Amino acid sequence: MKTFAGKTGQAILFVLAGVARLSTLGATVGRYVAESFIRPRVIPRETFFHQMVMIGIESTAIISLVGASVGTVLALQAAYSLKTFGAIMYTGSLVSVAMTRELGPLIASIVICGRIGARMAAEIGTMMVQEEVDALTTMGINPIRYLVLPRCLALALMLPCLTVIADMMGMLGGFLIGITGLGINPYVYIAKSVDAMVLKDIYTGLLKSFIFSILIALVSCHQGLSVSGGADAVGKATTQAVVISIVLIIVVDCLATAVIYYALPT
Amino acid sequence: MSESMLPIIEVKNIVKRFGDRAVLDGINVVIPQGKITVIMGGSGCGKTTFLRHLIGLHTPTSGEIWVDGKNIAGLKEKEMNEVRRKFGMLFQGSALFNSMTVGENVAVPLKEHTDLSAEIIRIIVRVKLELVGLTGFDDFMPHEISGGMKKRVALARAIALDPKIVFYDEPGAGLDPITASMIDRLILDLSKKLNITSVVVTHEMKSAFRIADQIIILHKGKVLQVGTPQEIQNSKNSYVQQFIQGESEGVIPFKQTSEAYLKGLLET
Repeated sequence: MKTFAGKTGQAILFVLAGVARLSTLGATVGRYVAESFIRPRVIPRETFFHQMVMIGIESTAIISLVGASVGTVLALQAAYSLKTFGAIMYTGSLVSVAMTRELGPLIASIVICGRIGARMAAEIGTMMVQEEVDALTTMGINPIRYLVLPRCLALALMLPCLTVIADMMGMLGGFLIGITGLGINPYVYIAKSVDAMVLKDIYTGLLKSFIFSILIALVSCHQGLSVSGGADAVGKATTQAVVISIVLIIVVDCLATAVIYYALPT
Repeated sequence: MSESMLPIIEVKNIVKRFGDRAVLDGINVVIPQGKITVIMGGSGCGKTTFLRHLIGLHTPTSGEIWVDGKNIAGLKEKEMNEVRRKFGMLFQGSALFNSMTVGENVAVPLKEHTDLSAEIIRIIVRVKLELVGLTGFDDFMPHEISGGMKKRVALARAIALDPKIVFYDEPGAGLDPITASMIDRLILDLSKKLNITSVVVTHEMKSAFRIADQIIILHKGKVLQVGTPQEIQNSKNSYVQQFIQGESEGVIPFKQTSEAYLKGLLET
């Protein structure tokens, strides 16, 4: 019992320490973002644009594919249940609301977490091992400003865009399977989809994806910056970046949904 | 040491502890301006740790480090960054940014710390690369050039902002003797041409005697001896002699006596 309590206490402390370190990193990045309004040079422009291209443009294809697949699956599964009530024409409503509110942001974030988060952690981790981060420090360049800031900003701008693409593609996937496989009239499908959605569905989804983007960037960069040692440590940091990001995304998603749809007045 | 040597770095009694272990144990050192000071010592004697203190990557547990009239021990980051502009540092593994070309690497400090236009930065980069004998390598990626060339690029980057002091961490490590001696020539050249103060950490005797104006020998976190290469060569200290002769048996035994070995095994 004693060891159990001890271990639980240790685990809680461990988590709290992690949250504290992440908040410190987040605060530093936030300070630089604020500073960049006065002195735009604070943002290393080349890295920022390079990251935007890598995160945004180069992820469009995979996000489209995954989004469309999820939309299709959702339509198929929903139709199965809705058919029993004779409500198969509501498939469109279900797909559009589910995609914009929940699945679009979630799927986009998880794909980006695997694609970009892992990459950030591995890249910064390797830079730590090869003394490149120390080199930056000795040149009087703050590594957080030079490495973490552009990545955070690029991801925060790009993930909501990718979420819109995932939403659209999901609805398109649902639509295609709806009018072909399920035999729903295209006009009815579209009308039901549009009727069911309200603006709040879309912007809460985008807000979520923005929060997720900050989480992914901070967790991944933090994991990268805490590498010490060699290749082994880089591998560990990369795995941890992805795992911690995904867990945090889902937990925060839970909280955000509860707050947005149940705690706040509609 | 002659009176004409003005100190640019003065280290006063610094101590650094990692846990219970004192890695640096009361070091007092004066580094004269415009000269080449070589810091030597066996592996694990604390010489790299000492260097990292000089550039502000570590903070000492106690003591003062005066660099160009400013105590950098425990300085805030912003002020430290001001001091760091007077520094250049050549890392053991070169520490070039792998995602950038050679030219971009050298341009990093210029872009970050000056308001110069891209055109002028390009010219400065060429001049610096010329100084280290790498004209025309601007567009190569770090993985396309050899280890010795990487060191030279890193050196060009270190002197990009015309620093007063350049630190070298094991400049000859991992290089063949010819390339290593070329790097030594460069250190000598830069020091004379640009009147740069150089602080070199190394354990290579040949290189040290070739370039040093002053040699500092560290042992177990303490300064064992300071002097000109001549004085070190004629040192009466038996550890210094063992070190410069490179013998495995001496004051520092390679093998333990059988009693000591047995005692060590039985110790818990």
